[in-house]
Amino acid sequence: MLNFIPRPSQEQILRYRGGRLGIAAVPGAGKTQILSALAAQIIASGSLGDDQEVLIVTLVNSAVDNFEARVKRFFDNPLQALYKYRVRTLHGLAHDIVREKPGHVGLDERFAIIDEREADFIRREAVKAWLSVHAESLDDYLDPNMDEHKRDWVRRDQLPEMISNLALAFIRSSKDRRLTPAKLRLLLDRQPAPLPLAELGLEIYADYQRALAYRAAVDFDDLIRLALDILEMDEEYLERVRYRFPFILEDEAQDSSRLQQDILGLLSGARPERILSVGEVADEGGNWVRVGDPNQAIFETFTTASPELLRAFIAQNPSVDMPESGRSQQSVIDLANYLIDWVMNEHPIEEARSALAPPYIEPVPPDDPQPNPPNDRAAIHFISKRLTAEEETKAVVDSLSKWLPKNQDATVAVLVPRNTRGVEVINALKAKNIEYVEFLSSTSNTRAAAGALSNLIAYLADPQSAPKLAKAYQVWRRDWKDVKERQTLIHDTSAWLRKVRNVEDYVNPNLAFARGETLTPAPSRSTPEGLPRGEGDSIAEAVVAEGEEEQVAAELNDFRVHVRRWLESVMLPIDQLVLTLAQDIFTDAADLALAHKLALVLHKAADDHKEWRLPELTAELAVIAKNERRFIGFSADDSGFDPDQHKGKVVVTTMHKAKGLEWDRVYLMSVNNYDFPSNQPNDRFISEKWFLRNSLNLEAEALAQLNAATSSSEYDWYDEGAATLAARLDYVKERLRLFFVGITRAKKELIVTWNTGRQGDATPGLALSALMGWWEE
Amino acid sequence: MTDSLPPPGISLSPAQRQIIEAPLNSKLFVLGPAGTGKTSAGVERMRHLLAQGVPGESILMLAAQRSVQEPYLDLLYSPERAAGGEVTSATLGGGLARRVCDLFWPVAGEAAGFAHPDQPPVFLSLETSQYYMAHIVRPLLDEGYFESVTMDRNRLYSQILDNLNKAAIVGFHYTEIASRLDAAYFGDPAQRRVYADAQDCAVRFREYCLQNNLIDFSLQLEIFTNILWPLDTVRGYLTRTYRHLIYDNVEEDSPRAHDIIRAWLPEFESALLIYDESGGYRHFLGSDPLTGQALNELCEEQIVLSDSFVMSETIASLASSLEQIILPYPSVPEPEAAGAEGVGIIAARFYPELLDAVVAQTKSLVEESGVLPADIVIISPFLSDALRFSVMNRLEAAGIPTRSHRPSRTLRDEPASQALLTLAALAHPEWNIHPPRFDVAYALMQSVAGLDLVRAQLLAEIVYRPRELRLSTFDEIDPGVQERITFVIGNRYAMLRDWLLAYREGEDLPFDHFLRKLFGEVLSQPGFGFHTDFDAVRVASSLVESVRHFRQSLEATVLFQTTDSRFPHLGKEYTQMLQDGVIAASYVEGWRSQNKDAVLVAPAHTFLMMNRPVTAQFWLDVGSSGWHQRLAQPLTHPYVLTREWEPGRIWTDADEVETSRQALRRVISGLLHRCRERVYLCMAELGESGFEQRGDLLRAFQRVLQTSGDTGG
Repeated sequence: MLNFIPRPSQEQILRYRGGRLGIAAVPGAGKTQILSALAAQIIASGSLGDDQEVLIVTLVNSAVDNFEARVKRFFDNPLQALYKYRVRTLHGLAHDIVREKPGHVGLDERFAIIDEREADFIRREAVKAWLSVHAESLDDYLDPNMDEHKRDWVRRDQLPEMISNLALAFIRSSKDRRLTPAKLRLLLDRQPAPLPLAELGLEIYADYQRALAYRAAVDFDDLIRLALDILEMDEEYLERVRYRFPFILEDEAQDSSRLQQDILGLLSGARPERILSVGEVADEGGNWVRVGDPNQAIFETFTTASPELLRAFIAQNPSVDMPESGRSQQSVIDLANYLIDWVMNEHPIEEARSALAPPYIEPVPPDDPQPNPPNDRAAIHFISKRLTAEEETKAVVDSLSKWLPKNQDATVAVLVPRNTRGVEVINALKAKNIEYVEFLSSTSNTRAAAGALSNLIAYLADPQSAPKLAKAYQVWRRDWKDVKERQTLIHDTSAWLRKVRNVEDYVNPNLAFARGETLTPAPSRSTPEGLPRGEGDSIAEAVVAEGEEEQVAAELNDFRVHVRRWLESVMLPIDQLVLTLAQDIFTDAADLALAHKLALVLHKAADDHKEWRLPELTAELAVIAKNERRFIGFSADDSGFDPDQHKGKVVVTTMHKAKGLEWDRVYLMSVNNYDFPSNQPNDRFISEKWFLRNSLNLEAEALAQLNAATSSSEYDWYDEGAATLAARLDYVKERLRLFFVGITRAKKELIVTWNTGRQGDATPGLALSALMGWWEE
Repeated sequence: MTDSLPPPGISLSPAQRQIIEAPLNSKLFVLGPAGTGKTSAGVERMRHLLAQGVPGESILMLAAQRSVQEPYLDLLYSPERAAGGEVTSATLGGGLARRVCDLFWPVAGEAAGFAHPDQPPVFLSLETSQYYMAHIVRPLLDEGYFESVTMDRNRLYSQILDNLNKAAIVGFHYTEIASRLDAAYFGDPAQRRVYADAQDCAVRFREYCLQNNLIDFSLQLEIFTNILWPLDTVRGYLTRTYRHLIYDNVEEDSPRAHDIIRAWLPEFESALLIYDESGGYRHFLGSDPLTGQALNELCEEQIVLSDSFVMSETIASLASSLEQIILPYPSVPEPEAAGAEGVGIIAARFYPELLDAVVAQTKSLVEESGVLPADIVIISPFLSDALRFSVMNRLEAAGIPTRSHRPSRTLRDEPASQALLTLAALAHPEWNIHPPRFDVAYALMQSVAGLDLVRAQLLAEIVYRPRELRLSTFDEIDPGVQERITFVIGNRYAMLRDWLLAYREGEDLPFDHFLRKLFGEVLSQPGFGFHTDFDAVRVASSLVESVRHFRQSLEATVLFQTTDSRFPHLGKEYTQMLQDGVIAASYVEGWRSQNKDAVLVAPAHTFLMMNRPVTAQFWLDVGSSGWHQRLAQPLTHPYVLTREWEPGRIWTDADEVETSRQALRRVISGLLHRCRERVYLCMAELGESGFEQRGDLLRAFQRVLQTSGDTGG
């Protein structure tokens, strides 16, 4: 095969001919590359029939594009691979299945998929409705020592957010167990003792599903659930899909939930109950290769995914390790490997020791085209000093300001555990005039295109506003943003527009003339036709640079033609309005495609919310621009994030979002026992709210009640508080993996810091202390 | 009488001549695929009949759908035709059934069990049926009906209606809907309840119609076929009136229609039945080619037309290769290595790019190759509003005339009708509809000539108080602002305001009368928006028409149920139904009269049903599964609710695969038989919504291109 010299473990993988195969890979091992190579090899072998495809399943849309391109690259003539493989996210795959058989699960042809943001909105509405009826029914869970005043405040200010998160977890888990509200109702009715949190969850769940049905929509979790329903219900159809996909290659398998795993298991030809029964070797079943790194199973929001699923799969099937990685220098590798060792052998909490597991990371052989950077012990820094959060930020920013000027060709990232911390870092960077790239909520084309449209429509929603008009002008000229010679013109024209007193006189000067006797003296030569008169004149002239007047006047006249057309189009249906505007402001094909998608999205939004007018629709676009929405199809992470595009600038992001990325230099911040607790006596847990009694984690308790309701075993009976403790353990383990992910982002240099937290009593995270101790030895 | 010669430029084959000049007492069954000159022969036959002195009123021209009748209507309405008796041109289940029901109402009303046979019936349109269905079903939804389905309410209503219609056109009793659907279903038992719910709603709807003298499509057809047709008087009347039958696109009609024709056919003096053997596109609407083809037996002569007047050789060979790949017929020999020369490929990564390329190619066809715009179609299995808008916009910008199967906006979305409805809400405070300020600003912008949006907003912000629906006077405004808005505009606003306030004081008019008055006394006057805007005038008159129809059908029921509090103000009811999309299918009337020499942008099925050939076809979304996959309708089933479906058989995935292949083969064959020279496959890597698409059609093409590439070396 072309352009590919496999490493030893990769060679082993390429010997795969069929059946199950589990692969545990380390960070930077080249999972995409090997899966692409494997797909190419299968295609090249000619074993696929007409209408058969290798199915590649991955996690995010950006990976889809990546795979598409890479598989093709293995062929002299890309046509040889045409329609021989299909890359899908799991949600995309589920969507394909449900699309093909919607009637089986009571869906109409035109069912819609509600994205996370709309789902969030619906859930919050349901929570609001629940609270308005049950305002005081949670009182039993509140800390009895709170006074009534504080209780009121908690009910009003804290409960909605907390219950909304609880509901998210509850609904997701119910769907993961394939329980409809009706089925869950039956189960709860059979309980010998009341399960109040499960009742709460069910009520909100039922309300939520009704709201979805009313919108003729399903959410992302429904897609998975319904796809599995269809496959189980219709054997003939299942056979057909199995024939279509004789090989399944799955990437990022550590992030699959049980249902997602069941779907692939079923498609690859195993009965679902055969997967994962402990101690059994699942030798039957078809061709399914799962690649992942259980050590990198990290989650930002509630998920039903678990790395144990992949671990079990690897244990029960033929498996190969992929330990070689050319990413990091030896010292970083040593640190990461020691972290695995320490967790497995020395973590004070016995149950947490399974958080990380081998394979250990190995450097690539010396002749590898992607060799490890040279070993440099001095490039690892642990800042053990006690620092407040502000001091920590300052130390990092100071370090950056010294380092950056000498390293304009290198990449650097500051990784934080939470968004809020990232914002603080960014503010500090701003204050020091250090160039940064904010990748807290991801950046993408969606964002820029939606932002531009949103600014334009914001003006149309408020057409008298001169500042918005000026902003609209900048959007119109967004292609000139990087053209130096145009900067003065854009600046002056915007400034002029911002100061227009009566926008209508600029937009529609003919009507101004119609006023007849109120006309002030004729405008000066330099003012465009119909400039506002009177006081407007002097302001206008003042903001325009000398010698520029004619250009600005011409520019204003040009722009006016467009503004007038836009103003006339406001009465069009929103999709047509968006398309009309997009034709005027976008030239890039990707932008236009996004505009088309946005038009469809807004059309649906306007249909669902008949009372919405331009301001609400603008707000919706602004939300999309902020990237709080995820689409199926074009998505937030469409273009992916490429650190190499930002050399010489500081990328600020969370450790979660950094997964899959690498930088020359990496700062890990806030590695204290608040963000990285270890279940020690002094540790606090974010999900245990101070206003609840007994440090209960209500979300975990609600899930435990759900579990009790669905289990037939008497040992699963609900025991208050046990779930809270179990949730601590899960959190401790996830944080250990998060730390591991953070460390393995560094290619050459790594700096780890911590702070004393909001209350000033936080200590270094236990794992950090252990690493520091070992490093100094 | 007209000349019996066809218009110049039409040359007829001997087979066609045989059809046209057949004796006046002959019954012919003509069959052949599309593009073999069947309809042309039919039209010329009609010309011939008239030229031979057959009275127009004794000719019955039937077709399953109005669009198929167009070539016949073109002849009947052509200016050179001398005055004379009118030919009846109708659909059997629609126009003819309705006419007969109307004529024989006293008999029908009683026999069908209507509560008030002494009162005239009200025929419901699709929208008004939907409206009544909504009234019946909505309260049941709150009781938990249809809980396990996820679908838009309006689609739910229409599928229940569809079930009733299926019962009527297939000819089973409407109480058997659920049992038939249920017997074919496997899977989640919870799902079965929806069939029972749908059945219950259908029964309630039928009872409501009988109670209130309402006749929807299903009832109209059942009354005609089950009650009136068997009566000697009715039958005698029909057979006396119509002596000659021309029945085109027999394959697209329903089994019930075929039943009637089967019984009626011996009574005609002459008959010409035209059957497209590759047709049956309206399957989802109940067309049944098999029962149609069986009419063959009753005709004396069968004439097969097989030579295409349309397809070039390359297209013909493409058609046969594709057909064989999609669904091989064993009897057909393996086709020669396919002709891919007739295929052009337009590919792009993103959708809008693709549309640019399509339009550029269209432009070059028109301007460089001299293809008439009317000879080009741009089709897609589905056409979202956004897509249609995008294509038509680009074509217009390129100076190419364009038309579509329907206007780009529903009546509800037309700015002019929005303005009228906003003003109506202002004139009727008792409706308790409080338009937001935005709507009022837009209405002012539309209504007052010369008013731009900036000033309209300014004005609305100052004069309009949504909560009290108050409109203050222009004089009350601050003089500075008056000046900004200008006095010219101010005066016009004042006139409009005075009119609205005067109306509030006066007597409440029927809603359509109100609209007419508002239009006539204010909006059409000089200085107002509709004075010179002819599009707006067309919209306004369509709105009035739609309201009038709605009122007439509604008043009929209120007549009997004056105490029915479920029907509040008619105008308010109409406005809300329009907003909710219950009356969604209303469009501006008369858009059909637009320029016909234009590029057609339409869904593939619509183009097929227009039944006319073109030179070049652009197929958008070649990768879409919409070309072959049937619409998923949880409450109904187009294949199970047919005559052929064996009772009790379960609908399986194999059936699904088989029917979707047949459907794809039919559509592709139909399209290519209507294509003279070239098909452009238009493919975007990411479809409209950003999904990658890879349906069966694309795969079939890939194989055609591959084989042709292989043989070409």
